Amino acid sequence: MEIFLQSVVSGVLTGSLYAMIAIGLTIVFGVMRIINLAHGEMVMLGMFGAYWSYVLWGLDPFVSVVLWSPLMFAGGMLAYRFLLKDVIPKGELNTLLYTAGLSLFIANLALFFWTGDYRTLNLPYALMPARPFGIAVPIALAIAFGMAIALTAALYVLLSRTDLGRAIRATAQDPQSAALMGVNVQQISMITFGLGTALAGAAGVLLVPSLYLYPTVGEILIVKCFVIVVLGGLGSVPGAIAGGILLGLVESLGAVYVSVAYKDTIGFVLFLLVLLFRPAGLFGVGRT
Amino acid sequence: MTRILAAAGIALLLVAPLLTGNTFYQHLMIMVLFSTLLGTSWNLLGGFAGQVSFGHAAFLGVGAYTTMLFYLKLNLSPWLGMLAGGGLGALFALPIGLICFRLRGPYFSLATLAVAEIVRLVALNWEQLTNGPVGLLITTLPQISIAGRAIDWESKIPFYYLVATLAVLAMTLIYAVSRSRFGAYLAAVREDIDSAEAVGIDSVRVRVLALALSAFVAGVAGGFYALYFRYIDPDAVFAISLSVEMVFIAVVGGLATTAGPIVGAVVLVSVAEVFRERFAAGHLIFYGLFMMLVIRYLPEGIWGRLRLLFRFAQG
Amino acid sequence: MALLTVSGLRKDFGGLRAISDLSFELMPGEILGLIGPNGAGKSTVFNLITGFIPPSAGEILFEGKSILNLKPSAVVKKGIARTFQVARPFRNLSVLENVVLPALLHEPSRPRAEAKARALLERMQLAAKSGTNAADLSLSEQKRLEIARTLATDPKILFLDEPMGGLNPSEVEDACRLVQRIRQDGITIILVEHHMKAIMAISDRLIVLHHGVKIAEGIPQDVVRNRDVIAAYLGKRAA
Repeated sequence: MEIFLQSVVSGVLTGSLYAMIAIGLTIVFGVMRIINLAHGEMVMLGMFGAYWSYVLWGLDPFVSVVLWSPLMFAGGMLAYRFLLKDVIPKGELNTLLYTAGLSLFIANLALFFWTGDYRTLNLPYALMPARPFGIAVPIALAIAFGMAIALTAALYVLLSRTDLGRAIRATAQDPQSAALMGVNVQQISMITFGLGTALAGAAGVLLVPSLYLYPTVGEILIVKCFVIVVLGGLGSVPGAIAGGILLGLVESLGAVYVSVAYKDTIGFVLFLLVLLFRPAGLFGVGRT
Repeated sequence: MTRILAAAGIALLLVAPLLTGNTFYQHLMIMVLFSTLLGTSWNLLGGFAGQVSFGHAAFLGVGAYTTMLFYLKLNLSPWLGMLAGGGLGALFALPIGLICFRLRGPYFSLATLAVAEIVRLVALNWEQLTNGPVGLLITTLPQISIAGRAIDWESKIPFYYLVATLAVLAMTLIYAVSRSRFGAYLAAVREDIDSAEAVGIDSVRVRVLALALSAFVAGVAGGFYALYFRYIDPDAVFAISLSVEMVFIAVVGGLATTAGPIVGAVVLVSVAEVFRERFAAGHLIFYGLFMMLVIRYLPEGIWGRLRLLFRFAQG
Repeated sequence: MALLTVSGLRKDFGGLRAISDLSFELMPGEILGLIGPNGAGKSTVFNLITGFIPPSAGEILFEGKSILNLKPSAVVKKGIARTFQVARPFRNLSVLENVVLPALLHEPSRPRAEAKARALLERMQLAAKSGTNAADLSLSEQKRLEIARTLATDPKILFLDEPMGGLNPSEVEDACRLVQRIRQDGITIILVEHHMKAIMAISDRLIVLHHGVKIAEGIPQDVVRNRDVIAAYLGKRAA
């Protein structure tokens, strides 16, 4: 029973960070109908940003997230404006291939500059896990979880209560009608891409004390991200949250109860099953 | 004009390895031809039929393992092994196609990625069959004689002619397809699947057939890989990076063209070589950059653009 | 002997019942009009019969044999073709190629398929544009191309989805004449149309759909005076 609870806690904590990354991907899809294969690299850049700020300037990642989020937001907007904007009209497939190239480019540039060494960031106050009710809870992950919740809540408020949020949702529902209502679709796309990148980068910053860091970590992350986004329904934020937690749980419980070797396979098989039988996601809210 | 180019190409192909005694250059030529083979395979499904697969390495790997296992365990001749590799690749493609083609566009692409990863993980873990991460090794290739002379497998020359033949055959296949009714149907499916259905084109059948042919070529290529490198393991033949390279070759060269993959292969191999000296994986930076530049400025590929310019010049 | 028999056709989208218990027959050689207020389910009926979406219940018989759950291409092979409300040609292919592809269905040899395609393009007055990319045609040209594509498959029944949409009055007249000529060639036609004058003029019979239910069926003059129909379009007070 204790093992089960341990797995569940671990799964939910990790899953929440997965969810945050997935939200970034899903809002970009929702508004622009593009799947950004370079999304994993955004997380990686956030991770490295936090790592270097810690190693060079002694900034705790849970503090530097305040610095890196806006920077990644700006970076995302620039990437949209100068890279993606002219490629999107060329079609879904071309955009997909373009982001694949971008992903390759960023990951290997990072590999060139920072080498493939596995790095970790060990925060002095998080070396031992806390043990509420006898369940080991890694401190860094718990703080990350808390901040992820806060950031997601902030996003929720943005999307549901502000004019910007309404404009984003309108564009996601129907870009043509939104444009007729006076929404500047290009600007909204740019802002949304910035938001997606910021979420990915912030998740990276929050994750760096808990994960191994290396330039090609984006590869695995992007695949997990797709699984989540498809499980939860492409374009749905609540779906991404649910999907993220679900994947976290599946991986965690799978490692314990099925087999460590095949635990990644379970996620993929689930992914394929959902794509085939419920392409609108487990909860049926996704765009097909 | 095309015939002259093709004839010249084939003539060049026949003599190229003999022009240099340097085994490194011979290896490069082999890699260019091998990459052409890969690009041609992917192009059939991705370029002509418009179905972008990010998991084509799965078929290559199946072909490689089939050839290896048939040779090592059953002592089957490598020629037959390669054919078997192609055949199994195509067979494997059938259920994959029937499943994945229920999806469209990017969903299909993601599904192929998932399938390839599943196959890689299975190969990694099913040690009884594949030897897992340890991989499989060929120590000696069989004694085969052609026209009375035994083939010297230590030299690169037999491998060159083998891969050259495969590449030419594959491109001939693509050329024949592009001129056939099947090729016309591929173009329709690439344009608009529902519209194709509405005019009586069975889009599932057309796509599955394209996939099977494409997988066959990839499987045979996998067989060649096994024989040439003599060592395979799951991370070498089922890698995502290999799948992405296949995409790269076809996209940079020219989607839906017969000769495009040659150009793409030359670019791929040249870039890899230029950078192999300086940085270990630096060439991948340029693959990425190239892909982005080509999609943005030359969506019809380098060869595609050359063809357009050529036609324009002809008036 | 009915050419097409639809019985008890039903389609549910999640909790929403889009089509309820629809039954009707299509007689050979007739022009049947399908009308109804927006959202009545007319395009859904087309999609159900031509195989683009699976029905939740019901039966569809073509020449006495079931065509339920066939793929769209299989339905076309049997002899039922449809146009799309928003024309969907192969945009990056030439006008000629757009008609050759469907022609290849019954005429596998390319030279013969091309000849057939050219003849159709002549008929549709599109011969001059054979080399143009389909994307570059005007609206009325695109609609004519849609029709040419369907005719190339030698259909017995033609489903026309709002053929007059977006056309100016003189184009509408031409379209009406075209539909009548197609019927004279022996093709049975079902059409959905909002342009009341046009559909009243060319249809032999009308079926009225409202919220997925058939509320009237008969000759145009009778249907148009039917109280339920008037209520559906204009509200209960007007009836």
